[in-house]
Amino acid sequence: MDLTPLVEAAQNSALSEWMRTSLKAVAIINALHVISIVTVFGTIFIVDLRLLGYPNVKRSFLRMHHELLRWTWGAFGIAAITGVLLFMVNAVTYHRNTAFWLKMAAIVIAGINMLVFELVTAKTAPSWDKGVTPPPAARAAGALSIILWIAVIVFGRWIGFTKGYDFSIPEDVQFDFPIQ
Amino acid sequence: MFEFAEWLGSTPLSVAIQSRLWLTPLLQTIHITMIGIVFVSMLNVALRVLGKIRTDEPLDEVWHRFAPWFWCALGVMAGTGLVLAIGEPVRQVTAMSFWIKMGLIVIGVGSALYFGRTIGAAAAAVPLVPSSRARFIAAATIVLWLAIIFFGRSIAYDVEIWESWHLA
Repeated sequence: MDLTPLVEAAQNSALSEWMRTSLKAVAIINALHVISIVTVFGTIFIVDLRLLGYPNVKRSFLRMHHELLRWTWGAFGIAAITGVLLFMVNAVTYHRNTAFWLKMAAIVIAGINMLVFELVTAKTAPSWDKGVTPPPAARAAGALSIILWIAVIVFGRWIGFTKGYDFSIPEDVQFDFPIQ
Repeated sequence: MFEFAEWLGSTPLSVAIQSRLWLTPLLQTIHITMIGIVFVSMLNVALRVLGKIRTDEPLDEVWHRFAPWFWCALGVMAGTGLVLAIGEPVRQVTAMSFWIKMGLIVIGVGSALYFGRTIGAAAAAVPLVPSSRARFIAAATIVLWLAIIFFGRSIAYDVEIWESWHLA
């Protein structure tokens, strides 16, 4: 599927133009994006550690899951909105950036991992809610989630250093863009 | 300060950091991951004070659950931040956002130290429905750490954010 017309339309939109010409819009949206993504990572990290049985299994998993994941989802919503806005600013550049697509892939796989956990493994949670080591499927979901969300941050940061380039960039090419 | 930053930027250590193109993105990634742990650790304690989460646990237990993560991640954050600053000292000292971030971190770390030292006595006195003063301090702590992340990211956009207040 060729996304080029859609990507070009996003970049040529009035909103995109406004963000590019505004002095502070991109800076503020970018900072909000970082705030929301670290909140997603931090809150989901606690749930993932609990799935791995760390620091202990004394507290109810279901209670912690209920309490924390609303913050994760709230932050994810802000990360998604700010992410779409940042994408629109330089849509054509991001569209051909490998790090960007790796980040998107990591988010999709993390989403599938979460969906499988919620639809299958979490159904058995009352039997291992507290005082019991979570089953292998729950531990695997937690470990995979930690790896995937760290990957999201790694690739997200890598976008800033490869924007307009690709991973196949020759070693002798000088990076001439401002560090962002 | 500017002369010191220029000198620091020309030292072999700074040049070594600058010449390793993979090092800055790697350190920044670790730095961001750590701020996530620092912020969410403090967020959990603050939300407990606000009575939003973990109300089945005493406040001092919540603090002791998250304090090791807070301090360890803060240490790694400080270490990676220091190496990043040595690698680009002029960029840091000329950024208004950098100095505001540093000032806010001093307040955040100072208040965490104070909270940690007084938590034993204070925990018993914290009711499930906290006082307006406790709620204010907890909310202010969340805002403080959000501001630290905001200004940390703004270092890259210092001219855009501060315009003539940029220190270069």
